[in-house]
Amino acid sequence: MEILKCEGVRKVYGSGPNEVTALNGIDLSVSKGEFVAIIGASGSGKSTLLHILGSVDKPTEGKVMIDGTDLSGLNRTEAAIFRRRKVGLVYQFYNLIPTLTVRKNILMPLALDRKKPNQEYFEKVVNSLGIADRLEAMPNQLSGGQQQRVAIARSLIYRPALLLADEPTGNLDRKNTGEIMDMLKLAGRNLGQTILLITHDEKVALEAERMITIEDGRIVKDERRR
Amino acid sequence: MKNNRSSSLSVMIAAFISALLLSLLCGLFYNAWKYEVERIEQEEGGWHSRILGEPAERDMETAKNFANVRDAVANPLALDLYFEDLGAVFTDTPRIAEQIGAAPEQIVYHYGLLAMYLVRDSSDTAPRLLFPMFLLILFLAAFSLIVIIHNAFAVSMNARIYQFGIFSSIGATPKQIRTCLLQEAAALCAVPVLLGNLAGIAGSMGLLNVGNMLLSGVEGRHKAVFGYHPWVCALTLLVTILTIWISAWLPAGKLSRLTPLEAIKNTGELQLKRRKHSSILRLLFGVEGELAGNALKAQRKALRTASLSFIFAFLAFAMMQCFFALSGISTRETYFERYQDVWDLMVTLKDTDVDAVEEIQAMQGMKGAKSAILYQKAAAKRIIAEEEISEEMKSLGGFSHASEAYATQVDGGWMVNAPLVILDDNSFQLYCEQIGITPQLHGAVIWNQIRDVTNPDFRHPDFMPYIKDQNAPAASVLRQGGNGEMTAEIPVLAYTEKVPVIREEYAKLDYYELVHFIPVSLWKEIKGQIGGTEKDSYVCILGGENPSLEELDMLQEEMDLAVRGKYTMEWENRIREYETNNRQIQGMKAIFGGFCILLGIIGMGNVFSNTLGFVRQRKREFARYMSVGMTPGELRKMFCTEALVIAGKPVLIGLPLVGITVGCMLKMSYVAAGEFMAEAPLVPILLFILAVLGSVALAYYLAWRNVRKISLTESLRDDTMM
Repeated sequence: MEILKCEGVRKVYGSGPNEVTALNGIDLSVSKGEFVAIIGASGSGKSTLLHILGSVDKPTEGKVMIDGTDLSGLNRTEAAIFRRRKVGLVYQFYNLIPTLTVRKNILMPLALDRKKPNQEYFEKVVNSLGIADRLEAMPNQLSGGQQQRVAIARSLIYRPALLLADEPTGNLDRKNTGEIMDMLKLAGRNLGQTILLITHDEKVALEAERMITIEDGRIVKDERRR
Repeated sequence: MKNNRSSSLSVMIAAFISALLLSLLCGLFYNAWKYEVERIEQEEGGWHSRILGEPAERDMETAKNFANVRDAVANPLALDLYFEDLGAVFTDTPRIAEQIGAAPEQIVYHYGLLAMYLVRDSSDTAPRLLFPMFLLILFLAAFSLIVIIHNAFAVSMNARIYQFGIFSSIGATPKQIRTCLLQEAAALCAVPVLLGNLAGIAGSMGLLNVGNMLLSGVEGRHKAVFGYHPWVCALTLLVTILTIWISAWLPAGKLSRLTPLEAIKNTGELQLKRRKHSSILRLLFGVEGELAGNALKAQRKALRTASLSFIFAFLAFAMMQCFFALSGISTRETYFERYQDVWDLMVTLKDTDVDAVEEIQAMQGMKGAKSAILYQKAAAKRIIAEEEISEEMKSLGGFSHASEAYATQVDGGWMVNAPLVILDDNSFQLYCEQIGITPQLHGAVIWNQIRDVTNPDFRHPDFMPYIKDQNAPAASVLRQGGNGEMTAEIPVLAYTEKVPVIREEYAKLDYYELVHFIPVSLWKEIKGQIGGTEKDSYVCILGGENPSLEELDMLQEEMDLAVRGKYTMEWENRIREYETNNRQIQGMKAIFGGFCILLGIIGMGNVFSNTLGFVRQRKREFARYMSVGMTPGELRKMFCTEALVIAGKPVLIGLPLVGITVGCMLKMSYVAAGEFMAEAPLVPILLFILAVLGSVALAYYLAWRNVRKISLTESLRDDTMM
């Protein structure tokens, strides 16, 4: 089942002599449950693609469909609600809310919808990420690896159609990088989660089932590894 | 500075407010000082020292030969000395006295005036608090301003922390960073300080004029003329610059001490050190409420000034309004309403005995005068025998509650005060008619009432008969106040509960006094034995039905003409007194209200400086909320909640305190709660709350306009926001 579809996505910043084309005709299709890594050098356009997929930014041209929703037609409020319900975003620098406990950070997307969590699912997520004993801690009391696990838990809590991870291991040591990658794979396997990982680290990208390489805003390679 | 316009603006506003307040304070103080000097010079003379005794012509010349003496003026009783250098007053005056042959005891110094120029002597023990109070207020104001505005500088400087981290990493010393920040502060503040100073001068001039206008009716007050001195300007600038410099130096010093790594890593983001709950806000406003509550807790330090200023401003304003409302009810009930039907004009005939006033009949017959009662009070004593005391009074303990000053046990009973109110004959006869007895001029009417001492409610006192009706003696033996042996026996025409309609209150302090009303004819017979009259007499005049101020003025003029020159008279006009009283209350309200508004402005300044600067500081926070799916509407709701909490907190904290205070005031003044509530100043208090809410809402609206422009993509891409 196709969960993500991009057709001729183009993104241009600036105008006239300052015009920069970040994405230039991206066509991409991702099926449900796939673990895809997008790899590329700095400035290749991979973060721009992630922002567009996460409804944070809009393409200049082209169409993006996620779980049946056309992102180009969303206004700011609709985009925010879409982000809340359909997309889980994981950033390199965790982006946890420093004034809320770990538990509240994880439950934030549900709280915005005034929804109560499914306790069983919540426990499953926090247990599998190994943060069950840190739920009442504040983010600044956690290590980088623990904070990233909280960020992953938050991105999974709404069972989003797509989990977008932007350099999730970029700020972590080798040990924590391995652990985070294992957890993402576990989430994909146990929860049937579609994951799209952006990285510049080939070793990390090799952990994914499918590896897409971007150069100068174009997909230059798309290989299924297993 | 150019790239950081919001926080630069907040620094400029902070500098302007500081300069304005300090300039206002200094300008007002200078004018208060100037007014006081003028008042002393007008009332007591402008001499600095004086040598008592009849001066000779050569004494004056001797004094003038002293280098520090500006002038020496001889008057019949003393030689007044005016000095050029006031520091020489205490050294030169004794020398002058010695040279003209006067004893040291003849020297008098004008301590009150000299103290105004900070010239003090150890023999002047009177407290002169004007300067110490001013210095204390100035210090407190400067300290408060430092607390308030240093946050504006901190917000502005923290926005550049990353940049200074880079400077530091390439070798800028802490001193260079500090200097750079302070230079920036100086550049930002120069114009606002000058403008603030000018506004402060204009403000003090305006306030002085308002004061003149409001107090124009006050007797014996001279008009204040605005003045300004270059030294005041210099002092104001010095204090302002010092205040702003300390405010900028505090965050600059802190920032310059950061290591390059700390500075580059620093996000300046709101953090909570400990886990906090905002349960009520979560319950009321959902997760947005909780986020708003936590954000406010994280900003607690930055918003402390606003919080305190708003709380104090609200408390002061609400309490002032309630106090004036209560005081208005009290004054109206105990003063104006009680006397409204009793007097319209009141004349005090200075140093005049009641039996010496011959014009009273002419006054009583004047057109426009419903009544005119001439009276004088005299002190006397009387013994009340045990068997004369009424049963009601006995049941409440008789004289057992009385202090020795008011009732002393003597052979045959209790010696009590028996004040005499001597009425002119016509008025006494009318009084007899009013109480239902045949008018006669050979006896006294006794007010036979005593207050229930067990009921402390002075507003609604209970009275009971003092002397038994059956055993009431037909004569009263009055004794001279100072000499109990001197007596006069006078017949008692009646014991009554009613008093004549004159502006007097009885048994106010001494509950046990037995008031005697007697006609002046009788007084002429007994005054030799009793004496004890007060030195002034009074005429209590009632005009026609609801007389206007003009009618009363006319009546006063006529009566003045009738007795012109014969007596020294002091007039009181009920309507004018009421108006003056109202004007004074309005003046007090304006002054206190201004103080409350000033406090409110300080709070608003803090909120504005915070919100104008926090967009940059909280950009990442907002980006995070948006990245997890918070909609613009939800972000706006969070902002509204923050604004509501900032504005609502002073009300929530203040209202119970105001309630308790008003409760205590009601209890003490014996005003019924319902009566107060009917006149409670709800509208001004509500307006004040709305003004605070409106200003905070405006500050947050301006911040919201900036937040709305935040691009999530750019925020997430901005490395400096990590």
